[in-house]
Amino acid sequence: MSDKVQIKNKTLSVKQCDITDTEIDAFVFYARNDLKLGSGFGNAIALRGGPTVRKELENLGPVNVTDAVITTAGGMKAKKIIHAVGPKFQEQDTVKKLKLTILNALKVAESNGVEKIAFPPMGSGFYGVPLDESAKITTETIAEYLKNGSEIKEVVICANDNRELKPLQEQLKKLSN
Amino acid sequence: MFLMNDENKKRSYKAQKVIDRLGKKLNRQMVGSLAACVHCGMCTDSCHYVLANPGDPTYAPAYKADKIRKIFKRHYDWTGSVLPSWVGAKSVFTDEELEELKDTAFGKCTNCRRCTINCPMGVDFATFNRMTRGLLVHVGIMPEGVEYVSKEQWEIGNQMGVLKEQYLETLEWQEEELQGEVNNPKAKIPIDKMNANIVYTINPREIKHDPRSILDAAKIFYAAKENWTMPSEGWDMTNFGLFSGDDDLGGAVAGRVYEKVEELKGKKLVMSECGHGYRSTRCEGPNWAKKDIKFEAESSVITMLNYIKEGKIHVDKSKNDSSYTFHDSCNNARSCGLTEEPRELLNYVVGDFREMYPNRAENFCCTGGGGAMSMSEYRPRRLQSAIVKAKQLEATGTKYVVTSCHNCVDGLNDVIKHYNLDMKVTQLVNLVSNALVI
Ligand code: SF4
Ligand code: SF4
Repeated sequence: MSDKVQIKNKTLSVKQCDITDTEIDAFVFYARNDLKLGSGFGNAIALRGGPTVRKELENLGPVNVTDAVITTAGGMKAKKIIHAVGPKFQEQDTVKKLKLTILNALKVAESNGVEKIAFPPMGSGFYGVPLDESAKITTETIAEYLKNGSEIKEVVICANDNRELKPLQEQLKKLSN
Repeated sequence: MFLMNDENKKRSYKAQKVIDRLGKKLNRQMVGSLAACVHCGMCTDSCHYVLANPGDPTYAPAYKADKIRKIFKRHYDWTGSVLPSWVGAKSVFTDEELEELKDTAFGKCTNCRRCTINCPMGVDFATFNRMTRGLLVHVGIMPEGVEYVSKEQWEIGNQMGVLKEQYLETLEWQEEELQGEVNNPKAKIPIDKMNANIVYTINPREIKHDPRSILDAAKIFYAAKENWTMPSEGWDMTNFGLFSGDDDLGGAVAGRVYEKVEELKGKKLVMSECGHGYRSTRCEGPNWAKKDIKFEAESSVITMLNYIKEGKIHVDKSKNDSSYTFHDSCNNARSCGLTEEPRELLNYVVGDFREMYPNRAENFCCTGGGGAMSMSEYRPRRLQSAIVKAKQLEATGTKYVVTSCHNCVDGLNDVIKHYNLDMKVTQLVNLVSNALVI
């Protein structure tokens, strides 16, 4: 299984990690339209980051599906958080919207000087994008972006467990062929 | 005459998705349950909602079942396609109708399976009510609490959003307590120990609200000189997928537990007292996770009972000198047959045990089953239906109700408070620990 590919001197890798407990320039949080943090990773952001993140978000929402905004990460190990509002629960045009959400997250990161960024397998899990589909769209969209020239040097996709890691590794293997 | 009267009606995007997914979820067991009901009404009085609302037919299991059955008949049963009105087939068109379905599937049933075991035709309403929940969750229609808890378990790995550092800190604190209680500074709660006989997994409620039960279990393992460990990850043996009907969540959660036991090369997975956790992790999980498990998996009730029978621990029942009844958790009793072992264990550690009636597989739900404790919007309805449980508890005349389920502890506490009963709730692990002679 492949854990890393080089794309125009940039690195795209996958690994099992807690995205909210990783030292990195920024990580992507799959956010709600109202930008409320909610539970899950949102809860981890609130607990580990402290009240700052929530305060910053108060002036930024609500936003539309596919939009991405950036905040600091409070007391977390990461420096910034990209709150990217992806499609949810089988909504219409999920694939198209998911790609656009990932692209917008990358653009916001790049324009804010982020060089190293972590993504989750976008939309999978609670929001119901099938894992294989999520792994394919997440890896392909990021790879395409890096190929087209970017200031971002490194992208890591953080899997919560082996179940998430395997399809990501398979996609990376396809990219490296 | 054979024309379908609803074929030109516009259908919402979500309603179409629900119909499509229903087709994918049908298996022989599900179709059998959907098709077999003869509306004899024999299940009606087995439901605590019916008993508490005698004038309201919308609580009858068969009535609730017909809400999804009519969609099945309209789209997946030939009789419903040809003669819809004769067989009660009716499609679903709007998001409002899906909201109504949500109100029934989540708000009028705790998936307790009491109607299931009382149906002469073998209709398993609770199972297809769970399926209905899953269909709705798939398109994002669910109570807010279900959304909240599901996301915690998907992303943090446990139902209560306990972070790894909080979990480890609590275990460290309980280890210090253990050392004090057994007067041995070397007593341990081992974390991630390789090749242990027992990998002990818990309900996150124990970290958040009831760390005493972790301490009690640790004390029992200490007294039994057990080679045991707790995992640093994959430690939540509860599974909200059972409640939300989301098999993917069910598989992800169970898979994390199994993989950790394998990684640690543990010989046996032991689950603390939790009905739905036991059912999910021991019985349903391997199917959801599509995984064969090669290690033993048992409830801590069995572990504690065997310790006493094998002379590994010694207990003195006079230490628990009050009066006790036992509440069977729906999942333990009706779905897993775990009814005699808890009674045998209880009789070892208390002197005054009095049965509750009805009991075992016929016991009534604590009313907090099926994830009901997380759905605050239905709380008044739940507590109204709890009059059945309250009467059952009161009739025992005991000071304590013992249960083998953390979810039931919360459900029963709510009932006791609401109906002003002079009773307390406890679990077997607390009583065994208290009775220990070290
Ligand atoms: S579910 Fe079973 S007991 Fe209930 S009405 Fe139908 S056939 Fe009768
Ligand atoms: S499963 Fe339990 S709560 Fe649901 S209808 Fe049947 S008896 Fe009532």
